[in-house]
Amino acid sequence: MPDSALTPDTKQPPLMRKSKFKLGLKQWLTVLPFVAIGFIGIAVFVIYPMIRNIMISFQDYSIMPNAANPWVGFDNYTKVFQDPNDRFLIALRNTFLNVAATVPVNWFLAVFFAVLINARFVKFKIAFRTIYYLPIVTSWIIIALLFKYLFADGDGGFINFILHKQLGIIGEPISWRNNYWSAMIMIWLFHIWKTVGWGVVIYLAALQGIPKDLYEAADIDGANAGQKFWKITIPLLKPITLFIVINLINGAFGFFPQVYFITQGGPMNQTHVIPSLIYIEAFQNLKFGPASAMGVMMGVLVFILTYTQMKKIGRQRMF
Amino acid sequence: MQTSLINKIVVYAVIITGALLFVFPFIYMILTTFFQGTNTLPKPEQVFSVKVNFANYITVWNKNNFVNYFMNSVIVTSVAMVGSLFLGALTAYGFARFTFPGKELVFRIFLLTMFIPGVINIIPQFVIIKDMGLVNTYSGLWLVYIAGGVIGNVFFLRGFFESIPKELEESVLIDGGGNWRIFWNIYLPQSLPALGTLAIFIFQGTWEEYFLALTLIKSEAMRTLPIAILMFNDKYSTNYGQVFAASMIALLPVILLYITFQKKFVQSGYNEGGVKG
Amino acid sequence: MKKTRKAAIALMALVLVLVMAACSGGNGGNNGSSGNGGSGTDGGTDKPAGKKVTIEYWHTYSDAEEMVLTDKIKPAFEEAYPNIELKLTRMPYEGLKQQVIAGVAGDAAPDLMRMDIVWVPEFAAQNALMEVSKLDGFEELKGRVFEAPMATNYFNSGYYGVPVNTNTKVAIYNKATLAEAGLTEAPKTMDELVAAAETLKAKGKYGMGVSGIHAWGLAPWFWSLGGSITNDDYTKADGYLNSEASVKALQTIMDWNSKGLVLPVMLGGEPGTWDGIISGEYLMSDDGPWFYSTKIAEKEATGFDPLEETVRALMPAGDGGSRSVIGGENLVMFANSKHPEEAWTFAKWMLTEEPQKIMAETGLIPSNKAAADAMKSMDIPFVDTYVEQLETALPRTPIPQWGEVEAIFNLAFEKAIRGESEPKAALDEAVKQIEAILK
Repeated sequence: MPDSALTPDTKQPPLMRKSKFKLGLKQWLTVLPFVAIGFIGIAVFVIYPMIRNIMISFQDYSIMPNAANPWVGFDNYTKVFQDPNDRFLIALRNTFLNVAATVPVNWFLAVFFAVLINARFVKFKIAFRTIYYLPIVTSWIIIALLFKYLFADGDGGFINFILHKQLGIIGEPISWRNNYWSAMIMIWLFHIWKTVGWGVVIYLAALQGIPKDLYEAADIDGANAGQKFWKITIPLLKPITLFIVINLINGAFGFFPQVYFITQGGPMNQTHVIPSLIYIEAFQNLKFGPASAMGVMMGVLVFILTYTQMKKIGRQRMF
Repeated sequence: MQTSLINKIVVYAVIITGALLFVFPFIYMILTTFFQGTNTLPKPEQVFSVKVNFANYITVWNKNNFVNYFMNSVIVTSVAMVGSLFLGALTAYGFARFTFPGKELVFRIFLLTMFIPGVINIIPQFVIIKDMGLVNTYSGLWLVYIAGGVIGNVFFLRGFFESIPKELEESVLIDGGGNWRIFWNIYLPQSLPALGTLAIFIFQGTWEEYFLALTLIKSEAMRTLPIAILMFNDKYSTNYGQVFAASMIALLPVILLYITFQKKFVQSGYNEGGVKG
Repeated sequence: MKKTRKAAIALMALVLVLVMAACSGGNGGNNGSSGNGGSGTDGGTDKPAGKKVTIEYWHTYSDAEEMVLTDKIKPAFEEAYPNIELKLTRMPYEGLKQQVIAGVAGDAAPDLMRMDIVWVPEFAAQNALMEVSKLDGFEELKGRVFEAPMATNYFNSGYYGVPVNTNTKVAIYNKATLAEAGLTEAPKTMDELVAAAETLKAKGKYGMGVSGIHAWGLAPWFWSLGGSITNDDYTKADGYLNSEASVKALQTIMDWNSKGLVLPVMLGGEPGTWDGIISGEYLMSDDGPWFYSTKIAEKEATGFDPLEETVRALMPAGDGGSRSVIGGENLVMFANSKHPEEAWTFAKWMLTEEPQKIMAETGLIPSNKAAADAMKSMDIPFVDTYVEQLETALPRTPIPQWGEVEAIFNLAFEKAIRGESEPKAALDEAVKQIEAILK
């Protein structure tokens, strides 16, 4: 097939009026050897479970392998909203709060630290990069245990020990996981601490690609560091920023270990997010129908929210 | 152009503070591993005056076939990593270099799946693996890890691949090579930094994976490291000293791998053309 | 160009070496582990001779308990039944229920499992468990074990498991703090305990040992104060959970809390119950026998001798008497077990006196009456109080919907205790929701 190798992406006008269908078929046949395995894998282990998920959301599902699982229409969906404690709506609210609270901070810290580490005179760049990346390579469960320990109640927790006993900033030790806002703040800090390093590393790589002469020109014009940051660095990093922000949003939507291992949704189910709620409903209360319904609703919501952006996301390029 | 000394000090101060914030919890964790009988947690005052000893490390290493689990994790993770990299690169190559009808639509559907919470997908995935007769085999685990990760990996690699200049292909074409040769001789070597970065992401994600491994692997002798670590966290109480000691042992290979690969870690050279555009 | 190709080859080679090293290392590890102090976890890999049947048994025994299980129980059983091999699989506690669900859904559950008593009706309702009351020898077995633990297996006019061990919680006091409160022995009534807690409050210590806002933590207190959750048939919460006595019991706990007498740990604070009792900051709390077995095992490392430094007593009595909560584990057989006969043989054997006595060495309280009797004369120092408390201990509502009911129960109590709701209103609301589930 040497000729197809020559012309995969070039837009040669067809010599003859080949039907569009035939051309498409030919293109598919060319690309199929490369994508077939991936597509099959995705279909079997990603798309199929998702379709099962959608089906279960309309069924009275039993975990037994040969159960009848009768169809119940939208019952599971109404059940989600009939919950007297409104856990789904609370979880939805928290999901958006998590995005709003962590994405900007996470993004800013990532670009901020990356720019500083990238400064010409800074030595031991690799050592810094490694340290900043450490939390990323550690397991969520372990870091959750560690954070629960650091944020323990009373002066026995390190954070309270510092803030209260050593510095006296707060009047009395905070019961972090015991109140809604302090628990949310703890979850956010946990998430940010764990993930900032990822953004730093990606930005560091991207920064090395910015031509030095731009800064030199700015220096000649007498620009200060802040101006250079906002006028040169940020605009030039735009494509990479898009990639990072999408991933940060995705990460913030997908909070699970952050909530499940820290608060289990407490106090009083106030800190749940949709994934943690789904997990609890399915694997603790054996309510697979309503759990799936929540997943489907979240999927639809995200689809609507991102639909207009999809084109951009699909086309965005990292480098 | 000289940066003033004050600026230098400020910059260093900020990044060192940042580094301390990231590294400190680990230090606290390591200090905690020096305590025995830590079903109850030591207080900050005690933590900073603890005597260094490795009793917990020795206990952990010798307990519950820990060494065995460690090696199991190495096998599971390395194969999953190589498989994921290869399949991800292959599929991304398809998306990056070819046109075919419905390409962007398929890609968008794939992206959408990344946003839907997949917490309960584990049941259908398990049933499929069971129907294939692969319960309690690493092959089953690899299948789910590799297939489940394709989308994310393609998302990551596609951009890199598309920025590879077309001119590079000419040498292969002159030699009479086809699409496979281009993939193998141009795309893979040209995107080593990206692949290296991805390798670390995949390694770390698989290395710490708990729920799926526990579900698919039924025999104790075949379990992986995260399961072994959580065995120290039993129904009545958590032995923090041992859990943290086990975690430190588990962390080491990832750090070593990171240090080995980091020279290749998304670095300059590749992106110079791209960022301008 | 050449450079990158070299790098690619190097990368591939590195990966290959890694994999190969891993494989050979893995094998080495496998072989090596058999000589490893007889932890015996891969004992099931031996090829069975003849028509030997292997039954798989999931459990969550602790380290000390597992040692007894693999070193004593397994050999004893396999000697008695040479054609059955017992394959023991220790499960981690995190995500355990998910493992059971996946096992059932994928038709890959083990033959037997030692399961927390509150899960049994729930899985029975899903048809995941085998009804053992239909099997040979059940009636005889039932006659040999205590009634209350047996009752936790009851669902829909049948039994879906057998109690393998039982437990409860008793009041555990820090001896020094008890003296500080001016007492020489543990308080017998709630009033005495409240008085002691008030004395200690001035010294910055806490006396009322409610350990958490969940049924397991609250129930002993709520019941001892006269509260109740449902009627005796577990079919009705209205008139029980919101009865005058229940509201009063909740109000009492709220009053203790607002006076600062309750352990901070109840609302998720610190120190934890064990820390607090050990340091003496907490006068008391209620906990199970594992407090003693764990702390005795760690005596060397921590320098804390639980037998010397604490006092055990029955729960202090209130309007409802001295009540505690029954815990423990049942042995269940899964409906899709491949070897139900052999599994049932093991279950019956496990509930006979001898194995029950062996497991009792670890402080697990036998459900077999003869073994429990024998245990009293065995030299297990802390067990007597637990056996005595069991006589008045109550089970948590053994119904399939318990998981949901408990969530409602917990939330109502948390709202009231945190002052977000009046006690009567909170319990009324809970009753309304629970009644909807019970129907």
